[in-house]
Formats: sequence, C-alpha cells, structure tokens
Amino acid sequence: MSKLTSIPTMVPGVMRDADKGRSDDIVYEYLAFKLGGETYALPLAGVQEILKPPRITRVPRAAHEILGIVSVRGRVTTVIDLRRRLRVPEGPLDKNTRVLLVEAGDEVLGVLVDAVLQVYRLYEDEVELASAVGGDMNEYVYGIGRPRAVRTLGRSTSQDRNDPNDILILLQAEPLLRR
Amino acid sequence: MAAGDDESGVREEFLSEAQEIVETLSRDLLLLEQSQKDGRSDPDLLNDIFRAVHTLKGLAGMFGLPSLQTLAHTLENLLDDLRLGRVDLTQDTLDILFNGIERIQRILASDDSASTHDISDLEESIDRVAEAVPEGRDPLADYALGESVLGVLTEYEEHRLRQNVQQGLPLYRLRVSFGLSSIDTALEELKTRARPLAELITFLPSMGGGDEEVIDLEVLLASSHELEVLREALCTGNAVLEAVARRGREGRGPAALMPPSPARATEPTREERATAEPATTLAKSTAPTAGVERVGADALSLRSVANTVRVNIQKLDHLMNVVGELAIVRSAVSQITERLRSHPELRYLSTELHRIARGFERNLTELQDGILDVRMVPLGQVFDKLARVVRQAARDARKDIRLEVKGNETEVDKLIVEELSDPLMHLIRNAIDHGIEHSDRRKELGKGTQGVISLTAYQKGNHVVIEVADDGAGMDPARLKKRAIEKRIISEDDAREMSRDDLLGLIFVPGFSTSEQITDLSGRGVGMDVVKTNISKLGGVIDVRSEVGKGTVVQITLPITLAIISALVIRVGGQTYGIPLANVQEALLLDTRALRTVEGREVMTLRGGTLPLCRLRELFRLGDTHYEQGRRQFVVVSQLGARRIGLVVDMLLGQQDIVIKALGKSLRGVRGFVGATDLGDQAVTLVLDTPAILEEVLASETTRRAEMLS
Repeated sequence: MSKLTSIPTMVPGVMRDADKGRSDDIVYEYLAFKLGGETYALPLAGVQEILKPPRITRVPRAAHEILGIVSVRGRVTTVIDLRRRLRVPEGPLDKNTRVLLVEAGDEVLGVLVDAVLQVYRLYEDEVELASAVGGDMNEYVYGIGRPRAVRTLGRSTSQDRNDPNDILILLQAEPLLRR
Repeated sequence: MAAGDDESGVREEFLSEAQEIVETLSRDLLLLEQSQKDGRSDPDLLNDIFRAVHTLKGLAGMFGLPSLQTLAHTLENLLDDLRLGRVDLTQDTLDILFNGIERIQRILASDDSASTHDISDLEESIDRVAEAVPEGRDPLADYALGESVLGVLTEYEEHRLRQNVQQGLPLYRLRVSFGLSSIDTALEELKTRARPLAELITFLPSMGGGDEEVIDLEVLLASSHELEVLREALCTGNAVLEAVARRGREGRGPAALMPPSPARATEPTREERATAEPATTLAKSTAPTAGVERVGADALSLRSVANTVRVNIQKLDHLMNVVGELAIVRSAVSQITERLRSHPELRYLSTELHRIARGFERNLTELQDGILDVRMVPLGQVFDKLARVVRQAARDARKDIRLEVKGNETEVDKLIVEELSDPLMHLIRNAIDHGIEHSDRRKELGKGTQGVISLTAYQKGNHVVIEVADDGAGMDPARLKKRAIEKRIISEDDAREMSRDDLLGLIFVPGFSTSEQITDLSGRGVGMDVVKTNISKLGGVIDVRSEVGKGTVVQITLPITLAIISALVIRVGGQTYGIPLANVQEALLLDTRALRTVEGREVMTLRGGTLPLCRLRELFRLGDTHYEQGRRQFVVVSQLGARRIGLVVDMLLGQQDIVIKALGKSLRGVRGFVGATDLGDQAVTLVLDTPAILEEVLASETTRRAEMLS
C-alpha cells in the first residue's frame, strides 16, 4: 500500500550503465527529506507511507517531541516532531509538510518533516558511518551520505540537481522510539 | 523466519485445541461426578470423556509431546476399564481423573514441551483402583437371556447390560425389519427416537423370513419407561416390542431372546451383498454395535468441528478498525449530500446519494454488530474452570461445598472473559476460605451441613452482571471497622462517619485483610484490591453486600464488550475528551458557591459530602484557552471504590458509543488515558482513564499532606 510511487526515483537500466563493475557493493536506499534547512534521510524500507498532515490531537503530558496522535485507517498512531528530537529550528507547517509513517521497532510512528525530497540509492563508499565521522553525533544518526552523481529521473526540479557538497544525514528509525 | 512463524502458528493451534478439549473434559468430569453421586450411570458421558482423552492422546503424538501422550494413554486405559465396567466409578477413580486433567493442563501451560512429567504416582493409584474389582452376584441371572445371546455380546455391551440390570431397569426386546437399502438411515432414525427413552444395548440380526432384501433385527434395550410408552415411541411399521421375561416369574411367556442364526453369517449370497453394501456389515458380524455407534458419534463431532473457525482476536480488532473507517466515509458522504442539496439543479443527485448512504449505514451497523457478536463467548468457559477450583479448594479447606452455576450461557466479549478468571477465582477462594463455615459449625448454627457458593450471571441492558454468593458467615462491619483502625487504614474519626456500605467497602482497600490466619488460598491482604482494580480496568464496578450469619454477595457489573463502550464526550481547554460512562456517577453544573479549599485542595460540597475536585485544564496543562472566566463549567463525578473525584470541564457535549483503541508504545509513560477513539468527523479523541486520574490526584494529595506535616 505504499504511496511512494510519486516520488522521483531511479531507473535500474540507467543504474547499470553508470555503475558498471560495482554490482558487488552494498546499496542503501534512503528517502530524503528536509528538516529545518538540513537534508535528512531514513531507510526507504522502513517508510510505509507518506501522508499529508492529518489533524493531530495533542496528548497532554506526553514528551516534548511527541506532537500527538492521528488516526491512520483506524489505527491510532503517534506523531513525533523530529525537529524537536534533533534540535533543529521549527518552521511553520506549510503545503510541503508531510508525515512519514515509519516502522520503528514494533510500532509504526508518524514523523513530521518539512518536505519530502527523493529516494537516493547509495553505495557503500558513499556512506560514512557516524562512528567513523566521530564527534558529537546524535544517537539517531547512522552516518553521512555523500551521493556522487545525479542518478535520478523524473521531473526535473531543483531538488534533483545534486550539489557535490550536498550531504544527507542518514537516520536510523529504531532509536526514534526509545525513551 | 516464515518457517518459525508457521511452527508457532501450528503450536498455537494445537494448544488452543488441546485447551478446548481439556475444558470440555473438566466439564464432563464434573457432570460425571454429579451422576455418580446421584447413583446414576451415564454411559454416553463416559464415552465422551473416553473419546476426548483419546483425541488428546492423538494430538499429543502428532505434536511431539511424549509426556502428554503417555499421560493421556494412562487415563485412556483407566477410562476404558470404567467403560467396560472392569473398574467401578468411585470417588477415588474420579479423583484420579481430575488429577490427570490437572496435570494435562500443567503440561499444556509449561513452555518446555520436551520436559518430562512424572506420572508414576498416578499410575500407582490407578493400579490400586483397578485391583478393587467389582463383585457380587450376577444380576443377569434374573433374566431369561440365553447363553447364546450373552455369548455374542461384546465386553462393552455386556457391561452396559449388567449396569442397567443392576440399576433395576427392565429389559425390552424390539423386533424390527429393515429394508437392505434403507437400513442405514432407518437404524439411525430408530436410535434417535429411542435415545431419550431407553438405552440400546445391542442389535442382533435374527432369523429372517427368507426375504433377502430385508434384515430382521432384535434390539435389546433397557428403559425406565413403561412398555406402552416405549411402544408408542418406537413401534412404527412392523416393529414389535415386548418385555424380556424374568426367570422364576409366571405368566410372561417364554419371551427369551432369540439367538442369532449361526447359518446366517455364512450364507454366501448375504456375504456378497454385505461386501457390496457397507450398511449391511451390521448383518455380517454379531457384535458390531459398539463400533457402529462409535463411528456415528465420531462423524458427528467431526461435523461440528468443521462448522467452527478459530480466529485470532486481533483479526477481529482489525475488522473493527475497518468498520470505524467506513463510518468516517459514511459521514463524509452525508456531508457531500448536504452540500449537493443546496444546489437546486443537483437535488435529485442528493436524494439518490442520501438513499444509498442510508443503505450503506444500515449494512455497516449490521457488520459492526456481526463482528461484535463473533467476539462473544459464553461465560461458561470461565465458570467451568472455576468449578474445578471449588472442588479442589473445598477439599483442601476440608469443607463440604457445592457450587451452583446459573447463566453459563451469558455471553461477553472474549477479552473480558480472559480477564475475568483471576478476579472470580479470588472471590470464590475467599468465599471458601472465609465465608463458608466447617460442617460442624454449620450444624451448630442450624444451617445445612453443605455450604453453597453460587455463581450467577445474567445480562442487564448493555451490561453483564456476575454474582458470587455464599451462604457462609458473612462480614461484620464492626469487625471490619476495628481491623481498619488497627491497621491505620482509617482513623477513629473517619470510622464514626462511615456508613455500613462504606465499611464493607474497606475490603477493597490495599493492605486490608480480615483473616486471622494466612492460608494458601487467600488472606494475604493482596486480593480484593487487585480484584477491584482488574474489574475497573474492564470498565466494570464491584459491589458487596453481606449479612452476618447469612452470607456475602459480591456483584460485578461489566460492559458486554470492551470494543464498544458508552462515553460522555466533554470539552475542556479547547480539547475534546471521552470519559467512559461506566466511570461516571453523575455530571452537574459547577456551583462556585459550593467551592471550598481544604489544605490547598479545591473541594466542593455535594449533598452534604465533600468532593475533591480536579481541574482537567490544570492537570493536563491545557494552558491559556479562549475560555473566558466566569462562564459556566461542569463537574463530572467519578467514583472508584469508596473514593470520589469531580473532574471540572468546560462543556458536556453528550453521550456516544465509542470504539476504544490502544495508544502506541511510545505513549506508554503517559498517564491518564485508556486510549483514543474516532468520533467520526473530527480528529481522533483521547479517552480518559478516570480511575488512574483519581488515583493520581488523590495520591498527590496524600503526598502533599505529608509534606505539609513534615
């Protein structure tokens, strides 16, 4: 039931030409999104659905980063605000705001993001693990993705143009649930 | 991973099937015990039990539970001996059987299927029972039954014959002819007609009139009914019924049962026909009855199994969610209908849509009712388990107690049934332990020596009432008061103001126990409060009535289903919440003149009593709202045991049936809500957990009081 088809993604045929001889490398698929001016990404496999933000019901006395609950086809789902978790500035909700339904452990969480960008396919050498980068990395951060070339098709929007300096902050879904 | 899922699925299937069998077994054993006490013998019941154990053995073998298989095998052997009369049905035998079931349950409950369970003691006691072979004069000697008849009876038939004669039931002989082609159905029909009146002991083919298309049968039966009654019921067509003569009595005529013709079985044409037509196997063998009956009964039980489906309750929850979604679609459609109505040129579309929407709604309601209905199970499921507990606990306490169960068939939601067994078990153990007196004491008091615990269930509107009553000593409010003061649960001042009901309510206070001695069963002071909490969690209430010397009645009132509850919808601080109606005592306008502050807590005077208040706006930190000061507010009064609290809200929006859905794990730490619900056209609405809020608010009050003192 994934509604991801509307997101620009890569065509396998193009891939093969561009990346000959690299088929042995591990490939990561990530869904990139904007959050407070930065580009983050979550593993595509864990993202079930992208929703326009439904009406969110506040839950009194819940943790600060919990925005509230929504009903997704009859299932009560908790929505968290990643900006509050990652301590990035909050902007107002606008027409690009989306809620990603993400499998985190044994619960499906709603994750509010400023805008959904695209799916990236990253090879192992395009990913730097957080442990290797060192520094004061957030526990949700898996690593840094540095996509080398534009390998996307679809509508030609400004988001498709990859600045060589563009980096993706790769998140892992599971720790989102902790605490 | 898929394989693992499969395996656990199969195991679960096995467990639930085995559990079902065990439950049926327990019920049947209790019935068997009853019939034994009444001096009746019930061969059908014994056969059912035998078959159930046999099935269990088969299942255990299939799923690789050797210890269960061995145990079932041992029990099966004992049951077979019972069936055939090799062993007498005594209290000792019943004990062994009950013990066996208990162990089966234990094996099923233990996770480690491979572990071995020692049953040597059970085997020993079976051996002991088996040695005590029934003795006595052969009662069959009274009847004019030739050796030629007795000689062809199977062991089982002979035993049944003996049993019936021992009970003094007269024997009858029915001569009947059946057409070869229809014997199958005709025989079945005869059995059905005869069963309520008589026990059919055997069918023997008799000498026929030479017509090859007809089989003549002699049916030996035992019945407590008069010959005339039986004749009326059984004699259709060419059937002839007469009483079997007793030896040494005059005037009955030589109605000895005819032995079967030995020539018959070897007659070649018949033999051929018999193989060609399965139904005539009856005529081929002289002792087929037990076998035929077995097959018939097995086929019957197979059919009934195939008619039921076991469903994981989560699947039903899912369906319920889908129904909830459809309800939202429905309200969206009706909104569109309204919008269309305002365009005159689209009016006809609106009417059409309205009609369709109505049909949709009707079907939706039916669907919802249907799903709820599927979730319903009879309370008998848990009552049967309790009957076993009573038996065991009464023996342990050396008290003579009878359990009377009424309303077995009353249905409630499966989830509720699951959650009920522990609280009910506790209530019953309390009744056995503290309620019912020992026999000698009862005699002194002029009561019947046997104590009675009754378990009654009935439906009352949208609720189910379950009563656990005993005719024991009852509870003395004065003693409860004294105890509570000793335990510093209440002060002497408190005690003076407490009514009789308040005092009885003390038993639900944590840490309160009146039993002087602690027994295995109860009296540890944890119990009634846990019972109360568990019942509250199910949205139920618990009441106790008691009279010294006469007994105690604990009454539990529960909603029929957890899936749908009635809720009061309120608004406070700009937010909408639901409050389960089961937790609401009343709702009234907040009278600011009745407000007082006691030790920093806001209270109001309600009919002379003091009601602590909780402003939900403050508790939930709903902050500044558009709600102006000085507007009317309301108080929703909620009660938990002897304690009450008034929740201050802005608006009462009305009452609505809601489907409560659990909150996700990420909100586990948040107190005050049982879940959330869709109210249809709006955002999802939180449902308050009033007992938890009450606990929280009143507990913080105690803390504050303690702080003020220090």
